[in-house]
Amino acid sequence: MSLADWIVLILTLLGMIAYGLYKGQTSRDLDGYFLANRAVPWYMVLLGIMGTQASAVTFLSAPGQAYTDGMRFVQYYFGLPLAMVVLCITFVPAFHRLKVYTAYEFLEQRFDLKTRTLTSFLFLLQRGLSTGISISAPALILSSILGWDILWTNIFMGGLVIIYTVTGGAKAVAYTQQLQLIIIFGGMFIAGYMVIHRLPEGVGLSEALHIGGKAGKVNIITNGVSAKGFDWNDRYNLFSGVIGGFFLALSYFGTDQSQVGRYLTARSITESRLGLLMNGLVKVPMQFLILLLGVLVFAFYQFNKEPVFFNQSQVEVLSKSKYKDSLVMLERSYNEIEARRINVITPSTEHQLQQMATTKAGYKATIKRWLRDKEVGGDDNDTNYIFLRFVLDYLPKGLIGLLIAVIFLAAWGSIAATLNSLASCTIVDFHKRFSRPLTDEKEFRLSRLYTFFWGVFCVVAAQLAYNLGNSLIEAVNVLGSLFYGVILGVFLVAFYRKKVGGTAVFISALIVEAGVIILNILSRKGIVPLSFLWFNLVGAVGVVLLAELIQRLFYSSKVNTVRP
Amino acid sequence: MDTQDQEEQAPLFRKWSTWYALVIGFLLLMILFFYFLTKHFA
Repeated sequence: MSLADWIVLILTLLGMIAYGLYKGQTSRDLDGYFLANRAVPWYMVLLGIMGTQASAVTFLSAPGQAYTDGMRFVQYYFGLPLAMVVLCITFVPAFHRLKVYTAYEFLEQRFDLKTRTLTSFLFLLQRGLSTGISISAPALILSSILGWDILWTNIFMGGLVIIYTVTGGAKAVAYTQQLQLIIIFGGMFIAGYMVIHRLPEGVGLSEALHIGGKAGKVNIITNGVSAKGFDWNDRYNLFSGVIGGFFLALSYFGTDQSQVGRYLTARSITESRLGLLMNGLVKVPMQFLILLLGVLVFAFYQFNKEPVFFNQSQVEVLSKSKYKDSLVMLERSYNEIEARRINVITPSTEHQLQQMATTKAGYKATIKRWLRDKEVGGDDNDTNYIFLRFVLDYLPKGLIGLLIAVIFLAAWGSIAATLNSLASCTIVDFHKRFSRPLTDEKEFRLSRLYTFFWGVFCVVAAQLAYNLGNSLIEAVNVLGSLFYGVILGVFLVAFYRKKVGGTAVFISALIVEAGVIILNILSRKGIVPLSFLWFNLVGAVGVVLLAELIQRLFYSSKVNTVRP
Repeated sequence: MDTQDQEEQAPLFRKWSTWYALVIGFLLLMILFFYFLTKHFA
């Protein structure tokens, strides 16, 4: 990075911290610290929801995902707008009416203490660990591609955000997320413009889409059906996106405190609903545009030399391994093919290009195979490095710094909301619930302390998790899917099965959670062909059915309920 | 529906159900648009 990039990066990050400290003045009680005094307008709720969901990996990995696998990943979000509607009808009025701080508080009023404690504990466990991944994922990519030390990158990625989150609570989170998203969208828009600008003369957006389309990258809608029938292991298709994505989104936005905490800050039910519904309107197009960036980068590399492996640090790993001689030969052959390919890219040479693409794919597969060799111990996942490699190699000075800042800001927006929610659950669902009454000032101070504790916990978890394999964006989603379905099932019983009591739902949640974890193990071993998105459906429906069955078989139908 | 909920009228439209229909309708339009793009550029 040049001096100009460093200046842009440092000024943006310091400016964000200063803005968070300035805007984070709040009343010294739980209402001010965790709910921003319930005074947030709908557009800030919207930006808060979007900023919390869109972590750094969203902007780093999604273009790479489109580059390698095509745009079908957008289908993953098709269930989200439907979930927003259900939330507005059921969850939002219930949470607002009971004036809860956390979603799990509602469960004690509807069921009992143990159900509240279990779901809150599952949230803390799942969200604490996945936030570690959310920090380590972009930190690993940046440290790898820029040669930064991983520990310091983790500390800057997850540590600096602690400053304004501890000080200003939910209000600082809401205001900074607003500014962060403006900078992020601005940066991504400029990056998209620059890709199109750098395409050869006569090649515009439409031509780039045709190039991507011919390579199968504009596969936005897929049905998951092959000659053998519907593929349950296919991660992204219309059906898994609408059904599995619906349950995942309903669970994430309805029962994950990092999201519930955002729309609980709204000044009224109307403002919460508007924020959620607007999210339902803009999320799919936004994700489409981010993936489109990946297709444009793909088109760009059809006219420019594509690296044999985008993550150059891994090529260096190979150059010091037993494969160093083979690597030299492979790179020589690869470079020859690339030079010939760039010279012959015309429609009349389509067949020739296809042959070259097959040969190139073979070389890339060889590199990956070498990296997977236990003796080498490399990282064979190149998807997360594609977009950043393009940024570093082809964007002008200053803009590189801005896009690196975008990655930090995206991470911060998500992490800040999570730290705030982890602290709120710790104090409201555990400390306050199981201790003697505390003064407002004491609660406020403890809340800051817990926010700081979770910040440090997440950075440590990030450091421990940094060697995680596979696609990082999917690792976060898989981890969520193990718990989300079950927690959602508990909430669905609370809202829609009024005769089912706390003990029945508690036992069923434990059994189904164990079942989902076993299912995940069987799926990973290839014994059960089922993609992770379906775990949400299995968990939610499993809890509802089993709780109903246990209630009917073993317990009286007389249950104390609050009206959802 | 509780009393507080009934008091809060939907902005722009008379009912919240119109908002819900708008969100679902927009999703369907997006899927149709994406289907068209997929076919067109395949």
